[in-house]
Amino acid sequence: MPARTPSPPKGLSRRSFLGAGLVGAGLALTGCGSLGRPAEVSFYQSKPEVIGYFDELLARFRDERPGVRVSHDVTSDLSAGFARGAPPDLGCSNYNFEIARFVDHGALSDLGDMPEAGRINPDLLPLVELTASYPGRTSVLPYSLMAAGVLYNRATFAEHGLEAPTTWSELVEVCDALTAAGVTPIYGTFAEPWTIGQGILDYTVGGLVDVTAFFEALQEQGADTGPGSPVSFEKDFREPVERMLTLVGYTNADAAGRGYGDGNLAFARGEAAMYLQGPWALTEIAKTSPDLDVGIFPLPMTDDPADRKVRVNVDLALWVPDVSPRQDGARELVSFLMRPEIIDAYNADNLGFGVTTDAPPVTHPALVELQEYYDGARFYLGPSQLVPESIPVHNYAQAIVTGADPGEVLRTLDADWARLARRS
Amino acid sequence: MAIQATAPAPDRDAAGPGPGAPARRAPRRRVDATYYLFLLPAVALFTLAITVPAVMGVVYSFTDSIGFGDTRFIGLTNYAVLFSDPAILGSYGFTVGFALVTVVVVNVVAFLLAIGLASRIPARAALRTVFVLPMVVSGIVIAFVFNFLFSSSLPRLASALGIEALETSVLANADLAWTAIVLVTAWQAIPSALLVYTAGIVSIPGEVYEAASIDGASGWRRLRSITLPLLAGYVLINLVIGFKNFLNAYDVIVGLTDGGPGTATRSVAMTIFAGFSGGDYAYQMANATIFFLIALALALVQLRLTRGKVAV
Repeated sequence: MPARTPSPPKGLSRRSFLGAGLVGAGLALTGCGSLGRPAEVSFYQSKPEVIGYFDELLARFRDERPGVRVSHDVTSDLSAGFARGAPPDLGCSNYNFEIARFVDHGALSDLGDMPEAGRINPDLLPLVELTASYPGRTSVLPYSLMAAGVLYNRATFAEHGLEAPTTWSELVEVCDALTAAGVTPIYGTFAEPWTIGQGILDYTVGGLVDVTAFFEALQEQGADTGPGSPVSFEKDFREPVERMLTLVGYTNADAAGRGYGDGNLAFARGEAAMYLQGPWALTEIAKTSPDLDVGIFPLPMTDDPADRKVRVNVDLALWVPDVSPRQDGARELVSFLMRPEIIDAYNADNLGFGVTTDAPPVTHPALVELQEYYDGARFYLGPSQLVPESIPVHNYAQAIVTGADPGEVLRTLDADWARLARRS
Repeated sequence: MAIQATAPAPDRDAAGPGPGAPARRAPRRRVDATYYLFLLPAVALFTLAITVPAVMGVVYSFTDSIGFGDTRFIGLTNYAVLFSDPAILGSYGFTVGFALVTVVVVNVVAFLLAIGLASRIPARAALRTVFVLPMVVSGIVIAFVFNFLFSSSLPRLASALGIEALETSVLANADLAWTAIVLVTAWQAIPSALLVYTAGIVSIPGEVYEAASIDGASGWRRLRSITLPLLAGYVLINLVIGFKNFLNAYDVIVGLTDGGPGTATRSVAMTIFAGFSGGDYAYQMANATIFFLIALALALVQLRLTRGKVAV
């Protein structure tokens, strides 16, 4: 995971920091950081790869609207910002469990009345709802969607006369053929837990389990989750996890000691034929081998090619905190960013899929294979992203691939889920 | 910190006249208000930055707060759940075990090094510098460097030499990853313990050894009957302070294993911090409160021990 450095956002002085402490001590001094200053909309966006990109967009916005001052905040700690009642005015961040908390607790304002909200692809709404929702509100507007599958080296596949597998049996055959030819079929980077969670675990589970239905039932069930409950990790994840272990058998021998950086390098050098990473790795791979011909296919988990689905996540979503005193400026910036020529250019430039009904198809050569799945809504949210952060699901996945008893780990996961439900 | 504790400040220093002030013996002396003024910034900062947040944290531990928004008081629920949470208990088990092993390793090695460096070996000043170097490097940097050594260099070396047991990274082994953490932590912590022991050895008057030599005591005998007993206070200080510091293990573990494989090396500090970013704020505040009480108990033990043994 990228390390975040908590530090006060630009434009917030030490006064507001002390203010937070004093509020807790019973002195109402909230918001003193913004007193006596011209309104400046702070735009929070911290995805490291696109900070420069958004800087340019903000410069364009300033040219068009000299009356609205905007600043680009790339470092804030969001939890701390909300805790002291001074979050950024507009956020554009990964739609994950961190944001989910703010949605669930009604800390984000309703954007449903904006015309831009009506342009969002309706297929995405169930996914947005599943992660988090607040009754009667459109808390976030998706901005960019990432679709992930198995990255594969087209040259290596062609060299051994192989094609992207469409069923589980074909997948195993491909792996066997590669092994027989002395090629490492899959590159594993198990030293970094998140690569296991978002990759091999999410793909195997998402390909076999109806993720949305499973998590809806699980949320309903809450504290009753355990042995004998209608749905449970132990029961429903058992088969995917066993298949995951089959695939682990086809990874490099030193997978347990390799990390994300090692994986990008090794795959770029052609040391393995497949790599279970999202499209974000393409940029890193291209740094080593700009001309590597990479394709992506969804991991087939059944013997019916029609069952194939891709893992998606809302990579960026826009949100405006309820407490922001600069709603108008923030919304103006939302409208600007949501303009078709801007949002479509962003997604085309950054390997994202468009999230609006009027978005054009992807053009990146590695991503085109996934367009049909996206168009047909044959996608699922990564299950590892639907487990609250306080349950270390990535670490559990790591335990399984490095030899722990899967049944025991899944039972722990059930117990954690029930315990969390009991106290929240 | 360790050094300060070894130099007990007699009480009179606290209120006594500053350097250069003539020591006039007035029968009744009022403390000049200026001294309080000097204290004020430190006290104010400490109160605002440490005490107030800590007290707020304890209050939050009785709520279901996630840091903002609606908050309800839920009494002792967090504490009750805490004691039945295998993840929390596991982190305490790991942390205490790790701290115990590390404190022993650090002190044995530091003690032997200190004895060695106190003898008249050649180039001991240079050696001392070398041994103290790890202290000035940041823990997270050390951890990332060792991470590379353990995951890449060591396995490569092992396969070149044909040592099968070391061909996979020790960090990837749930049963052995802790040994790597102990090693790296010890490597970083030995210098400060070494300095304390060196200071202790220097403080032993040469006459004692002279007298012992005249009585015909062997080197081993001198070590056992003079050096060890006279250093007992320093050993205690190093043990208690070291143990307390190792309980807070965080950066080295994050850089080496990030709590893995699985959750085999998650320390208490890591679970607490994960609670803040993971929206488990109040729950981990309860955990932090318990952890604080443990540290407080250890600090009291340390105070007692240092008062009894070192202050002469």
